[in-house]
Amino acid sequence: MTAIERYLAPASLDDALAALAGGNATILAGGTDLMVQSHGGKTRLRPVLLNIRRLPELAGHSIEGESVRIGALTTINQLREDATLAKALPLLAEAADRFASDQVRNMATIGGNVCNASPAGDTLVPLLVLDAEVELASASGRRRLPINGFFTGPGRTLRQPEELLTAIYVPMPRLRTVSRFVKFGTRPALDISAVSLGFKAELTPAGLANVRVAFGAVGPTPMRGPGTEALLEGQRLTPALIAKAAETAMAEITPIDDVRATAWYRRELVHNLLRKVLNDVADH
Amino acid sequence: MTVIEKDSLIGKRLTKMDAPEKTAGKTRYIHDINLPGQLVGMILRTDRVHAIIKSIDTSAARALPGVHAVLTAKDLPQKGLGVNKDNPPLKGERVRCERDEIAAVAAESEEIAAQALRLIKVEYEDLAPLFDPEAALRPGAPVIHESKPDNVAMAFDYSHGDVVAGEAESDVVVEDTFTLHRVTHCCMGVSGIIADFEATSGNLTLYSNTQVPFLHKREFAEVLGMDPGRIRIIQPPIGGGFGSKLDIYPFEPICVYLAQATRRPVKLVFTRAEEFLASPTRQPAIVRLRSGAKKDGTLTFRTVDILLDNGGYTSWGATIPFVMMQTFSSLYRVPHCLYHTKAVYTNNPYAGSFRGYGNLQATFAIEAHMDKMADAIGMDALDFRMKNAQVAGEVTPQGMDFKTCGLQDCLTLAARDSDFAAKRSAYAARKGAVGGVKRGIGMASMLHVGGGAKIYPSDGCGTNIKLDDFGHVTIMTGASEIGQGSETVLAQLVCEELGVPMSAVTVVNNDTDITPWDVGVHASRTTFIAGNSAVGAARKAKAKILAAAAGLSNLPAEQLDLRGGHVIRAEDGESVMPLAKLLRSLHFSDKAELVTTSHYYEPPSVHQDKGFKGNVSAAYAWATQVVEIEVDTDTGIVTLLKVWAAHDVGRVLNRLGIEGQIEGGIVMGQGYALTEDMIMVEGHLKNAGFTDYKLITAPEIPEMSIEFIETMDGEGPQGAKGVGEAPAICMAAAIGNAIENATGVRLTSLPFTPERVYRGLKQGAAS
Ligand SMILES: Cc1cc2nc3c(=O)[nH]c(=O)nc-3n(C[C@H](O)[C@H](O)[C@H](O)COP(=O)(O)OP(=O)(O)OC[C@H]3O[C@@H](n4cnc5c(N)ncnc54)[C@H](O)[C@@H]3O)c2cc1C
Repeated sequence: MTAIERYLAPASLDDALAALAGGNATILAGGTDLMVQSHGGKTRLRPVLLNIRRLPELAGHSIEGESVRIGALTTINQLREDATLAKALPLLAEAADRFASDQVRNMATIGGNVCNASPAGDTLVPLLVLDAEVELASASGRRRLPINGFFTGPGRTLRQPEELLTAIYVPMPRLRTVSRFVKFGTRPALDISAVSLGFKAELTPAGLANVRVAFGAVGPTPMRGPGTEALLEGQRLTPALIAKAAETAMAEITPIDDVRATAWYRRELVHNLLRKVLNDVADH
Repeated sequence: MTVIEKDSLIGKRLTKMDAPEKTAGKTRYIHDINLPGQLVGMILRTDRVHAIIKSIDTSAARALPGVHAVLTAKDLPQKGLGVNKDNPPLKGERVRCERDEIAAVAAESEEIAAQALRLIKVEYEDLAPLFDPEAALRPGAPVIHESKPDNVAMAFDYSHGDVVAGEAESDVVVEDTFTLHRVTHCCMGVSGIIADFEATSGNLTLYSNTQVPFLHKREFAEVLGMDPGRIRIIQPPIGGGFGSKLDIYPFEPICVYLAQATRRPVKLVFTRAEEFLASPTRQPAIVRLRSGAKKDGTLTFRTVDILLDNGGYTSWGATIPFVMMQTFSSLYRVPHCLYHTKAVYTNNPYAGSFRGYGNLQATFAIEAHMDKMADAIGMDALDFRMKNAQVAGEVTPQGMDFKTCGLQDCLTLAARDSDFAAKRSAYAARKGAVGGVKRGIGMASMLHVGGGAKIYPSDGCGTNIKLDDFGHVTIMTGASEIGQGSETVLAQLVCEELGVPMSAVTVVNNDTDITPWDVGVHASRTTFIAGNSAVGAARKAKAKILAAAAGLSNLPAEQLDLRGGHVIRAEDGESVMPLAKLLRSLHFSDKAELVTTSHYYEPPSVHQDKGFKGNVSAAYAWATQVVEIEVDTDTGIVTLLKVWAAHDVGRVLNRLGIEGQIEGGIVMGQGYALTEDMIMVEGHLKNAGFTDYKLITAPEIPEMSIEFIETMDGEGPQGAKGVGEAPAICMAAAIGNAIENATGVRLTSLPFTPERVYRGLKQGAAS
């Protein structure tokens, strides 16, 4: 822990961005990662602690054209309980349902989950399969980046220290889209994913279209499975294809051994869980 | 006149006396106690697992403002703690495991103390480490303690009969090696102590979470070179013990030395991470078991060879073979038994006592073999157990005298309620099917001491009862309350005798200057031993009260009784006078004797002989637990659906309390079986927190059906026997049997984490 020299809780985005401009501020949202990490000596707090929870621009959600705009401060429980959000983006609601406990979900934000960039972050896999974009703001302007490619390593993203994540844009899934999220932890609640898996595709008469497959906790970042996607794209799900897809997924992930699981077991899980998801979609 | 109906408290559902304060968050634990002038004590622990200490430089820490003392080994007498006295409070020459204490600081705040620890510089020279207990016995292995060149910290051997003859008459012989893992207690209330010397007298008061205050008085005196009579131990409400507070551990004398050095009270309370690193563990074990039976289902012999990973020092963990032995020799009738154990030093954490005391490990091995042998001879698993089950009246070859024994009733009831036989054969028929979610059912039984255990010179407990002018009863008991509900059950037993409501009772149980002696909370002994002591004291008090009432009422004492806060006429319940009125009149007379004393020295048990034979407990507890599970073969996840628990508890005293004890024990056993594991990599603990050390959480707790067998033990208070440890013992064994029933795969290592189960299924399918 470092001594915090200043604590700021600005009410306007401009003030917040000004405070960030020097690059010596730590952003505090729900604090459910930050506090744990700083107490555990894993994160050094910068001299300025910037509480962003009073920024109205970062709260709430809205439908903007073909996309849902989710404010960075939207809590995990809002993803789960807000009727509009849960209906538009059932995959995120499902991930939120398997996330931590009520106490944590009330505090934890989607912006914090994205910026914390844990390979096991539970909203990240759904955001990857949903083709989400992140909106970043700094004193010198705004930019939007696709979430695919945003994560560069464990805890690392393309966000610069003077940038604030303001919102996440998620294109509304088209008609006849099926999507699935599976979280594997060793217990039903309050567990960090040992493996997670997301799937989305449109069911067309010709077969699957716009297939997205993503995995969590099986590499340095949450990751898409391009090989698996390519294999499934335009195809109809047959037992042979499903078996091949499970094999492909298991081969293209890059898991490690840690206290939660060995790499071998993570590969087996991805294989079996993807097979289960695809069987379920095929029966749909 | 008023008639008072008889209304027994025995078997009622009584709320624990401390529950309202605890549930309201008002209980004041050691964390909430702060003495004037108190300093914060903190310990620097090593980051090595086996090394020579070359130098310790504390100069910068000493110079830090706000630091009042920095101690290292050279400031203290080098007295060893623990069962082998091999564990000095601060290590000066050598470290032997991750938790080892190098230096201690007393400072004005936690921040200053933590900073001072960071300023201490230690130089080490690493030594070859030893992590594998089997390697510890090989020639050329690193020697952990010079005084034990063979690395054997302790060994126990036992035998009866002739196993060679037993094997010769066997139709089936099975053999397995079972590997039991390392878990820890996870008390919600972490370890802690406050040491406070009286400035002029030099008397020492300790506020301590210990579960053995009277033994600790002696041990502290020995370590500190003090007169034990000048040590007073006060126990604030304790947030769980489960055995973890049964030995004296380095942080306790360290705190006293800090108080001595600073002449200020010093408080030392563990952080959660420290509790994981530096409180004892359950004893890991490798159990090699060979067992045999005849075709007709008679057990023939058992050969047992156990290797315990003792860790760097010797605490109670090394002595668990004493309890394991009872299960091997006497849970079922076995004519020939040969048993060898060794506890060997390694550079791993060391084990202490933990609810069940080796019996979880022993039962796991035995009950796997009971299933295996039943299947091998083609006998129903329940019938096989019934055939070999002990019955009341037996004296086992080890000398255990089962005056009451409900094992056959436990087996029958648990099997009937769970539809065990039908389910076991139906699920077994589906073992071979590929994939999907499979169901299984499994059973295990246990035997544990239930009437104290004669391990120390005395197994007694004292009680004083004080009655005041208003009919209020104060029970001063030696028995400690560590969350198990002892104060409620003791109050209940006294109320039953004195005919007063629970609200008229206070229990004082936490101050060695006030309460009579007791050996401590261990061996499931408190209800039995302290209960008998309380009943004895209450009966003495009652006799005195009735004698006095006889004088005042002109009725003979034999015709009087106590009920509803009144002295009554026994024959019709008619009130003779309110109890408070009688007591007041006694107070102002020359016959005033409002305090009575009684005790329970000794229960009718004996110290075992050198061959570990003899009736070590005055009564024995029995149980059978059946579990039904699901195994997801895609992931290896085992879901516990339901537990049927049938327990011979002698008699139910507080129904709510005993149900809570059994539910809690089942969940603890479930965690041992399925999720809890201290993950060690080269002597370092990798999961010192609840994120990755997985306790069972609410959604995983199964449905439970709990049945009591009341065998009315002749020696127990109101017929009751001990139950504290019993409910945790069977779970791992029963779950292991259920996994085999579901999948055909016999897993011999714990815990049954999804990955281990999945790997087992894959290997089972491959072989
Ligand atoms: C008990 C417990 C259980 C948990 N279980 C889960 C789980 O099941 N699944 C899971 O995915 N996670 C889990 N977590 C982790 C954590 O709750 C989530 O990652 C959460 O979403 C973090 O959000 P927050 O608002 O609390 O972030 P904070 O802790 O406030 O911030 C996290 C990081 O992001 C930065 N940050 C936050 N907001 C912004 C922003 N708008 N712009 C730029 N940077 C920002 C912060 O500076 C910090 O570095 C758990 C945590 C705990 C304590």
